[in-house]
Amino acid sequence: MRSDTEIRAQLRTFVRRHAGDVTDDTPLFTLRLLRSVHLPELIILLERLRGAPIDVEQLRMGDFDGIDAMMARFGSLP
Amino acid sequence: MSALATALAEVSETADRLSRLSVRAHENPYTLVDWPSSVDPERDWFGTPEYVSLHGTPVWEGLDDTARRRVAFHEAAGFYSLNIHGEKALIQGLAARLYRSDLAGAAGYLHHFLDEENKHSVYFGGFCTRYARVYRSRQVSFGTDQARDVDDLLFFAKTLIFEEIVDHYNRVQGRDGRLHPLARFINDSHHREEARHLVFGRRLVTALWQAAGFDPATAAGIRADLGRFLTATWREYYHPDVYADAGLADPWDLAEAAWHAPAQRTHRRHVSADCLRFLAAADVLTEEPADAF
Repeated sequence: MRSDTEIRAQLRTFVRRHAGDVTDDTPLFTLRLLRSVHLPELIILLERLRGAPIDVEQLRMGDFDGIDAMMARFGSLP
Repeated sequence: MSALATALAEVSETADRLSRLSVRAHENPYTLVDWPSSVDPERDWFGTPEYVSLHGTPVWEGLDDTARRRVAFHEAAGFYSLNIHGEKALIQGLAARLYRSDLAGAAGYLHHFLDEENKHSVYFGGFCTRYARVYRSRQVSFGTDQARDVDDLLFFAKTLIFEEIVDHYNRVQGRDGRLHPLARFINDSHHREEARHLVFGRRLVTALWQAAGFDPATAAGIRADLGRFLTATWREYYHPDVYADAGLADPWDLAEAAWHAPAQRTHRRHVSADCLRFLAAADVLTEEPADAF
C-alpha cells in the first residue's frame, strides 16, 4: 500500500487529467466534472494504490465528491 | 413526443420482424443445457487464448499451458460476470421504458429484449455459480438529472457499445473448436440472440440521434460520455480479482501493465473497430476515444 501522500498525488493527476485544474475540495461529482462513467477507472486506481478491494455495492456519490472526500473514505485502510 | 418515441416508430418494421424471429427462436434456458457436475480449468480451454487479457504480455509468455488454461478459465467467468452486470443495467433500463406513457405502442419488442437478456444471465450465472464465482463490476451509477432525450440516447448507445464488444468475443469463442463444448455453447447462444439486438440497437441509435437534434453543447457532452464509457467498458476486461484467482501475483499492477501493453492496445482497437465505424457513420462519435487504446 502506498502512503497517503502518494495516493493523493496520483489522485490529483487522475482528476486533473479528466476534470481540469481543481482543488482538493472541489465537489467533482456535484459539479459534474466527473461522472459515473469515470468510476471504473477511478475505483481500480484507488484499489491499486491502497492495495485492497473496494466494496462497490456500498458506494455513495459523496465518497467521490472531491479529492479530500476520496482520501477520507479510501486513503487509509481501517 | 420524445425523440425515443419518434425513433421507435421509425424502426417499428424492423422491431416487428425481430419480434417474429424472437418468437421462432424462443429457448428454455432451464432445459437446454446439460450442466456437467464439474469442469477441469487446467485441462480444457474455456476462453480463446488469443482473447485472454494477458495475451501478448511478458506474463503470458512466462506461463505454461496449464497456467494459461487456468487464467482463461477464470477470465471466462470474469467475462460472463461482465455480461451479468451489463445485462442487469440493460434490464433495468428496458424495464424503466416498458409502457412509459409515450412508448406504450413499442412494448412488443422491448418484451422480447428483456426476456432474452434475462435468459442470457441464466446461462452466465449458471456457469459462474456452479464452477467459479460472479466477479464484481466497477460500473457504478449514481443517477443523473439530465433531460430524458439525453438519458434515452445514452442508455441505448451504451447498450450498443457494450453488446458490440461482447458479441465480437462471442462470435470468436462460439466457433473456437479448442474450447470446452459448454463454453462454445454459451458464447454461441448469446451471439445468436445478440445479433438481433445489435440490428435493433444500430437502427434505433441512428434514428434516435437524428430525432433528438441535440444542440452542439449537448452533443459534445454525449460524445464525451460515450467515449469515456467505451474506455470504462474495456477497463473491466482487465480484472485484478480474476488474476488473483488464477494464482497470479500483484493483480492490480498486472491489470495496469496489461492495459498498457501494446498487444492489448492493438487488440482493443481491432475488437472496437466495427462499433466505432458504425458510431462515426451515424455521426454519434466524431473522434476515436483515445484513452481506450
